[in-house]
Amino acid sequence: MVSSFCWSCLTRLRSTPRAVLPPAVTAPRTALFHTSTARYAMPTKKSKSMEGPAKYRQAKSAKMKKKKPVDKVRPPPVGERKALRKRIVLSNPNALEVEGMQDISAETMVDARLRGSVLGLPVPMLTQLRAVEAFKPTQGWSIFRRPGTVVRRETLELGRLIDGISGDGQDKGKAVKKIVTGVRGSGKTVHLLQAMSMAFTKQWVVVTVPEPQDLVTAHTAYAPLSDETPHLYVQNHATAALLSRTVNANAQVLKDLKVSQEHPALKSAVKAGMTLEELARLGIQDPAIAWAVFQALWAELSATSAAPGFEKSFKPRPPMLVTVDGLSHWMKNSEYRTAEFEPIHSHDLVLVQHFLSLLKPGVGKSALPNGGLLLYSTSASNNPTIYSFEVALKQVTARNTGLSPSAAEFPQPDQYRGPDKRVLDVFDSPKPTNPKEGMLELQTLGGLTRDESRGFMEYFARSGLLREQINDEWVGEKWSLAGGGVIGELEKLGRRLRTIN
Amino acid sequence: MPPRLNLFNARAAAPVLRQQPISSTRPGITTTISINRPTGHGVKTGLSSSTPLLRRWSSSNTGAKDIPETPKGPTEDQLPHVSEEAAEVSKIMDKKCDGTAASPELEQGTPISEILQRDKEAQKHMPKVMQDQIKSSTGTRSFSTSTRRNQTELHDQGKNIDEQTAAVMASMISQVNQQAEELHAGIKFDPVEPLPKTENFRTRYESLLEQFTKLLMEDGKLSKAQKDMAFILDHLRTAPPPQPNPRRPLLPGPPGPQLPLNPVLFLALIVDSVAPLIKIRQQKGIIGGGASVQIPVPLAQRQRRRTAIKWIIDASEKRRDSKFAQRVANELVAVAEGRSGVWDRREQQHKLGIAGRSNLGLARR
Repeated sequence: MVSSFCWSCLTRLRSTPRAVLPPAVTAPRTALFHTSTARYAMPTKKSKSMEGPAKYRQAKSAKMKKKKPVDKVRPPPVGERKALRKRIVLSNPNALEVEGMQDISAETMVDARLRGSVLGLPVPMLTQLRAVEAFKPTQGWSIFRRPGTVVRRETLELGRLIDGISGDGQDKGKAVKKIVTGVRGSGKTVHLLQAMSMAFTKQWVVVTVPEPQDLVTAHTAYAPLSDETPHLYVQNHATAALLSRTVNANAQVLKDLKVSQEHPALKSAVKAGMTLEELARLGIQDPAIAWAVFQALWAELSATSAAPGFEKSFKPRPPMLVTVDGLSHWMKNSEYRTAEFEPIHSHDLVLVQHFLSLLKPGVGKSALPNGGLLLYSTSASNNPTIYSFEVALKQVTARNTGLSPSAAEFPQPDQYRGPDKRVLDVFDSPKPTNPKEGMLELQTLGGLTRDESRGFMEYFARSGLLREQINDEWVGEKWSLAGGGVIGELEKLGRRLRTIN
Repeated sequence: MPPRLNLFNARAAAPVLRQQPISSTRPGITTTISINRPTGHGVKTGLSSSTPLLRRWSSSNTGAKDIPETPKGPTEDQLPHVSEEAAEVSKIMDKKCDGTAASPELEQGTPISEILQRDKEAQKHMPKVMQDQIKSSTGTRSFSTSTRRNQTELHDQGKNIDEQTAAVMASMISQVNQQAEELHAGIKFDPVEPLPKTENFRTRYESLLEQFTKLLMEDGKLSKAQKDMAFILDHLRTAPPPQPNPRRPLLPGPPGPQLPLNPVLFLALIVDSVAPLIKIRQQKGIIGGGASVQIPVPLAQRQRRRTAIKWIIDASEKRRDSKFAQRVANELVAVAEGRSGVWDRREQQHKLGIAGRSNLGLARR
């Protein structure tokens, strides 16, 4: 297309006067008549690029900027984190109070109608139970208004047993020995707790070892017992802690009991007319004599009659409950070493030896002469696998069924797997001669029944923690999910709140 | 009413499409069609355009016949075998030798309508059905080509039939249902309700819980994050119920003292209460000169929650508690009580958003 302009027209066009054009971009924007702002303006920054030749004494190398030191947050004070980890909370004021919840008492612990319901632990007893370290931090006490436990079949049996031992019937003064096993979360520790609460109700003396592992992990001081027995070792501080637990929990009972025997090992420290509580406190104050004090206390508690000269203030001793929670740690070499740096077997620690010797029938008299209950439980979490212990437990079962150790069916250890003779010997207890002493039994805890599960889940719902309609179908579903009513799994299902509504 | 028989229809329709007008009316019909159908050429209508158009239609109607020929291979479409050819020839020759008239009419047959049309004598003797047909079909057009127009008119006639048949069908269905009910005395089980979302194990946690847990995660340690989440929920469950701040209330929900009993809901309320509605996008190049303007952008629910959770976790870093989960839990309670700085952050964000509303017009240009 041809332009409408002709060449001559274009050439005749004059250039536009300068004033009409917009000022060039490079020109300063300040007013032309005013120069001060331009002068006082900040000098333009030099470009920081490293291009071009270096000036005099200018570094050409790439400089790394130093990082500013970040002010480090101080770590929390020593022991705070452990205290937080080991903290035991027994009450949640936000949870609803369960109406009509009964407490464990002498009547309710044998009441078969209460099977499947949750019995609360009496509030005054909680300090005692805390003293014997019956509660573990991993248990879910903290979400309920107050701690309570389910009455299951084994609980009722236990209640009847404890009631019989402290009653006036034929079981009076009987010594029962049980090893409690079961899968993980099956309620072994809570079973021990229930036994403790019942024993406290019946004014027994409760002696516990809540963490057997602590005695063998070389975390407390140890020393050879004496020159006569160089292979035995005593742990004074652990013994003092044991005495402290026992005294704090059983102060009420021990205050009423007076010393009834001579204790030559303690010499003048023990005076006639001293209460057992005062005796035990000697060991707490001076851990060096703690083992001797513990032996003296044990002798006093298992005395059936007073020595001559002490008859005046003698009172019959109450039955005893002895619990150990997590037995298998005691079935191997401890972390302690001898002076020759040989490992020390757990059974060479006198404290461990003392509790294990109770499994054997007593010589001449019962292991627990005033009657009582020996409840040693295994643990399924944090548990060393010990072959000889497994075989020993099988042997215990076999012995209870009446098999003689010489029989062909009697379970024998595989010699190629290096069985520990000492472990097998601990549980190798023949039938006791004393009629008041029971044979060592093995009790396996399984799951709850569906009815008991329902009671347990209703407890969650009535505490306001579970928002479901509790019917048989729902409970059956959870029962199956919990591996056939394993109570630890049921508890997880009960507290796991998944939905918003 | 029985469907109307249309003897002309079936044969006549195809010739129309092939553009072989038999009667004088047909060209008109073709034009109507060409007008009705949208054509590619647009403006040109009428007979001039109908020819190529119709040809295209015929190709679609006759189907496989008019498929454009594809190049054939050397072995395809050979001449018939010599013997077959001989047989064909003999067949033709034999016919002639018959002595009968060999017209194409006799050989291939003629539609009877055509014969009747040109033979007035035969019309008198044709079957009564056909006579009736001719009489009754006066004034109505019987070509199927015009169905589109006629369908609306026919529809009114067919309504009665439809209603009748529908009633009959309904009665039949109800009868069958009755019989089925008599057979099965009752449904044994209630109908199964669809499972809630959280019943599937892949989505077993509430979506907010899952999102929060994964944002708590460090170094890909999900188990640790889940433990922390459990701790946080337990803390919300056991901590004293929040003292509500009237200036910074949580979203409407159950009253405060009931919140700890449902920690998941509590957590959701806290997070949703401080979740911002918008984010601010810094956009360059709208006003020129390298300056960026702030443009508010709306967030989806999941994005809002993510922002709020991030803020809460950030704010918890300043706390002095020894445990991470404890810090987050304390921060959550602080948010619930209106003490947390997260609220300020949200207000700041919204203020920026309001100021940036005017920039939305710039962004759109």
